[in-house]
Amino acid sequence: MLDLNAVGDALSLLTSSYIAWIYVIPGLLVGLFFGAMPGISITMAMAIFLPVTLYMDFLPAIIFLTSIYTGAGFGGSVPAVLMNIPGTSSAVATTFDGYPMARLGKHNQALGVALAASVIGCLSSYILLLFIIAPISTVVLKMGPLEMFTIAVWGMLLLGSLAGSSIWRGLLAGVFGVLLGTVGANTAGYIRGTMGIPWLFDGIPTIPAMMGLLAASQLLNLINTHYLIEDEADRKISFGRIVEGVRLALKYPTIIFRGSAIGVIIGAIPGVGSSISNLISYSETKRNAPDGDTFGQGNPKGVIAAESANSSSEGGAMATMLALGIPGGGATAILLAAFAMHNIIGGPSFIANNKDIVYAIIFSNFAQAVLLLGVGLGFVYLASAVVRVPLRFLIPSVLVVSAFGSYAIQGSLSGPITLFVFSILGWAMVRYQYPVAAVVVGLLLGTLLEENLIRTWQISRDLGYVLERPGAMLIFALMVLSMGLTAFSRWRRKQRASAMTTEEVGS
Amino acid sequence: MNHPKTRRKVDWGHLALLLLIVGVVVAYLLDARATSLKMQNLLLIQPAAIVALILAALVLPQCFRRQSEGEAEAADKDEAPRRESWVDLGKVAALAAAFGVFAISLETVGFDVATFLFTALGIYICGERKLWVIGTFSAVFTVVIVYGYQLLVPYPFPLLVL
Repeated sequence: MLDLNAVGDALSLLTSSYIAWIYVIPGLLVGLFFGAMPGISITMAMAIFLPVTLYMDFLPAIIFLTSIYTGAGFGGSVPAVLMNIPGTSSAVATTFDGYPMARLGKHNQALGVALAASVIGCLSSYILLLFIIAPISTVVLKMGPLEMFTIAVWGMLLLGSLAGSSIWRGLLAGVFGVLLGTVGANTAGYIRGTMGIPWLFDGIPTIPAMMGLLAASQLLNLINTHYLIEDEADRKISFGRIVEGVRLALKYPTIIFRGSAIGVIIGAIPGVGSSISNLISYSETKRNAPDGDTFGQGNPKGVIAAESANSSSEGGAMATMLALGIPGGGATAILLAAFAMHNIIGGPSFIANNKDIVYAIIFSNFAQAVLLLGVGLGFVYLASAVVRVPLRFLIPSVLVVSAFGSYAIQGSLSGPITLFVFSILGWAMVRYQYPVAAVVVGLLLGTLLEENLIRTWQISRDLGYVLERPGAMLIFALMVLSMGLTAFSRWRRKQRASAMTTEEVGS
Repeated sequence: MNHPKTRRKVDWGHLALLLLIVGVVVAYLLDARATSLKMQNLLLIQPAAIVALILAALVLPQCFRRQSEGEAEAADKDEAPRRESWVDLGKVAALAAAFGVFAISLETVGFDVATFLFTALGIYICGERKLWVIGTFSAVFTVVIVYGYQLLVPYPFPLLVL
C-alpha cells in the first residue's frame, strides 16, 4: 500500500528546505478570506493567485494552491453560518442548520463545530489518500486512450447534469466548453477556429479564460450589491464559545467519519465534488439520526455532516486529479493548470514517476489541516471585519489583479483580452443559469478528449475495438448506470416535492 | 370548454445568449470543415458541434414561456422592481465596457495610467462619489499593484509614469 522509499524521499523533500512551508499560512489565509466572501469561490481564489505561482518551484506552488483550497473549504462556512449565504457551493448544506444555530444565538458554537468538522474531515481524507494513491496508480496505468476518453466524457456528463438548474443547459455548457477547448492546432496538425489570430494557434489561453469565467463574471454580478452583509449585529464573535463548538463536534465522531467517507468517494468522481457530497452527507445523517426531525432548526449534527463531507472531498478530488489527470471541478482544474505551468503533465505517469512529490503533497496537506485549526480560530474571530469590505472598492481592485495576473501568464495582451471576453460570457451564462464550471472543465478536457479519441481511432479504426476493451466497457456501463440513477433520483425528488405540495394543500 | 387566454413571453437576453452559442458553434464547425474533411480533424468537433446544436434546440423552448393573462399581469407587476434594475444593468455594462477598454489599452497607455483610470472609474461606477477617496485609493492601489507585480514577474510591464 505504502511505498516506504517514496515516503522517506517525500519527508526529506519537505524537511530539506523551509521554502515550501512559508506559503502554507498565507495560502490558508487567502483561502479563508476568499472562501468567506459570498460570490467569490475557491476556484476564483485559486485562479487569481495562480499567476503568482508561475515563478515558484513546483512543490511550493502546489502547496500554496492546496493551502488556498483547504482554507477556502472552511472559509465558505463563515457566511453560510452568519448570513445564510454559502460562501462556496460546497457550503450549501452548512446553511441548513448553521444559520438557524446563528439565529438561536449559537453562531460562535456553529463556527467552532464547522471548523473542527472541516479539520478532521480534511485529515481523514488525506490519510485515506496516502494508502490508496499507489494502488490507484497501478490500476490507472493499465488504462488506454479509450478508457481515458470514456472517463473524461463521464466527468463532463455528471458535471453538466448536476451543476445547473436544467440538465440541457448544463450539458450544453459542457459541450460548448469542449469545443472551445479544441480551438487551435490539434495533435494531427489541423488548425481550426483561430479567426486568423496568431495567439489562438496554441488554443484559447486556458488560465485567463478560467479567471474570466469563474472570477471576473461573478464580480460583474456583484456590482449592484453595496455590502456583502447589511446587518452587522450577527457578526460579533466570542472566542470561548468557538472553542466550545470545537469540543461539541468531537462528541460526534461517527457523523464526522461517515461524512468524510462520503466526501472522499463523491469527491473522487470527476465532475461531482464537494458541492454534492455535503448534501448527500447531510441527508444521510438526517436519515440516520434519532433526532432527524430537528434538522433544519439548528441541530449541530447537520453542520458537522455537511462540513466533514465538503472538506474531505478535497482528498477525493486530489486522488482523481493525481491518478488520472482529470479535474473533478474548478479547483482541481486550476491545480492541473499549475502542473502544466511547471511543464508537468498530471496523470498515471506522474504518480508512477513522482511518488515522492505525491506523498509530499499529501503530507503537506496533513500539516495544512492541523494549521487550519489555529489559523481558522483566529480567522473566524476576525471574520466580521473581512465581510465588511465595501464592494465598490473590492470589485475594481480584483478585476485589476486578474488582468495583471493574466498578462503575467501570457506575456502579452492575449491574457487580458481573453479574460475580458470570458468574463462577459461567464456573466451572461451565470445570469441565465448555465453552470460556468461545466464550460471550464470542458475547456480543459477538450484537448484531452480529442487527443485520446484520435489515438483510439489511430489504433483501431473500427468500432468493434470497444468490445476488446473490457475496462472501457465497464466504465461505460458505470457511466450509463450513474446517469440513470441521477435521472431516477431527480424524478423521485420531483415526485416527493409534488406529493408534499399536495399534502400541504390538502391540510 | 373555455380555455384561459394565454400569451407568450420571450426571455430576450437568454435567447440572445443561446443564439450567440449557436453562432459560435456553427461558425467553428464550418471553419473546421473548411480546413479539412479528414477524420483526424473532425473526429471530435463534428459530433460535439451536432450534439451542441441538438442541446441548444432542447434549451430553446426555455426562452419562451406561455402564460395565462392573469399570470402575465401578475408577472408584469412583479417585474416593476426589475425594470428599475435597468439602471443596475447599465452599471454592469459600463463596468464591463470600462474593463474591456482597460484590457485593450494596457500596453498602449501603460499599466500604471490604465490601472489608475480604470480603478477610479470602476469605484465611481460601483457607487463611491467622494472624489478624494476615489483619487487616493486609486493612486495607492496602482502603486502597490504595479510594484507588487514587478517584484513577482521578471519581465517589465509597459509603464508611462511610474
